[in-house]
Amino acid sequence: MERRIAEILIQELKLENVTPDTFDSGCDLVKELGIDSMDLTTVVLVLQGEYKVKFDEDSYPTLTTVRAIAEQIRQLQATVS
Amino acid sequence: MDLEVRDAVPAQSPVGPVVVPESAPVTFAEILKHPDIAARFQQIRQYFFLRESTYDMTSRCNVRCDGCYYFEGDKQHALDNVDVAAWRDLFRAERDRGITFVVLAGAEPALVPELLEVCYGEIPRGAIASNGLVRIPASVGYRIHVSVWGNDATSERVRKAKRMLERQIELYAGDLRAVFVYTFTRENIAEARPVVEALAKNGCQVTFNMFSATVGYKGPLTHTAESLAQTRQTMVRLLADFPDHVIFSPYSAAAHTDVRSLHDLFSCPYPRQNSGQFGLGRTFRQYRSDLSWVREASCCVPDTDCADCRHYAAGSAIVTARMNRHIGSADQFRAWLDYVDTYLAVWIQGYKKSPNLCAVPPSPAQAMPPAIQGPPR
Repeated sequence: MERRIAEILIQELKLENVTPDTFDSGCDLVKELGIDSMDLTTVVLVLQGEYKVKFDEDSYPTLTTVRAIAEQIRQLQATVS
Repeated sequence: MDLEVRDAVPAQSPVGPVVVPESAPVTFAEILKHPDIAARFQQIRQYFFLRESTYDMTSRCNVRCDGCYYFEGDKQHALDNVDVAAWRDLFRAERDRGITFVVLAGAEPALVPELLEVCYGEIPRGAIASNGLVRIPASVGYRIHVSVWGNDATSERVRKAKRMLERQIELYAGDLRAVFVYTFTRENIAEARPVVEALAKNGCQVTFNMFSATVGYKGPLTHTAESLAQTRQTMVRLLADFPDHVIFSPYSAAAHTDVRSLHDLFSCPYPRQNSGQFGLGRTFRQYRSDLSWVREASCCVPDTDCADCRHYAAGSAIVTARMNRHIGSADQFRAWLDYVDTYLAVWIQGYKKSPNLCAVPPSPAQAMPPAIQGPPR
């Protein structure tokens, strides 16, 4: 899942010099990559469709790494099932 | 464009019918498959990097308007810092902090042009909120928002200034930086058409604002449900009749004239209402003229009563930040895109408004989380 999330991040935000395989899943998207909150929201909306989950708006500030996003998706999927 | 007023009112308006949205697509990705939406989204997302803060440049003003937000609360008592070097240091620090867009206000920022030039030299994107009675030098390339509160008779009564519109037009007609901002109060709705006609005749651009009461204000300018509905109809008709001069969208009209405030509809993300560390809550500051700022008081129009806030500046951040709440249908997202397109055209020098995509917007109430929507009011 982490690899696919990284792939979507790279695709949506047109990130350069990084591939899904080299993406550090612990990298802070806001502080280290400088991703804006609106860009992060865009990625979240794409992921919602991809994984058929709905992120709580209040959880957005916690979605700061690929790992955190993946964990959140797993929790949401577990709740649904 | 079909701008039938009855159809453009929001679902829970006291004056119009319910607008039923088209059946909802399943995902955001599906919404983005619509070519018009995809193109507009790519256009506006280039501006996602904008990070705003606001600055009171001076506590001095050359008019005294009833209901003025500046002369409420503590900020009016700040001792002006007039040291150009101190302001330059502040704006450099702001730029280094990641601020890419400034809103310069005050009291009247046109009274301190040397400070405006310093700011422009450090952060080249921004807008100035001015009463338009003193010309801002051409060397300051920001958008200039010239506030209009009615015709000259009304302005003389409410703002205590003679020939206000006439003088504003004399100073700013033909100036590509200028956008005239007509603030609808409960009392001046009928004056909007002749004022917009005068502005259009002089080639001026105009957008709309809503009077939003400051905390404790009990005067006659505050809107009622009836005046909100009348304002909405007036806005939509003026947009239809003056498409080359009015910068607005049907969804802007719906969102700003709903009986609920912007905060009630969309949950304000400014620090004053948002203690979190995401988006505006993380980066926004509102500086006073002594260069201090207070997190708890920081929002775009401090001392406004949040329960009555329909301010255009507030909406420009509040509605735009809620993209995630506008993906219930393709038309809802089109309405949001129109809103953001309007925001960019009003605030960003050189950005041109595109034709609106959604003539009959869904109710802004659909952007509220289901848990707090409640029964129709």
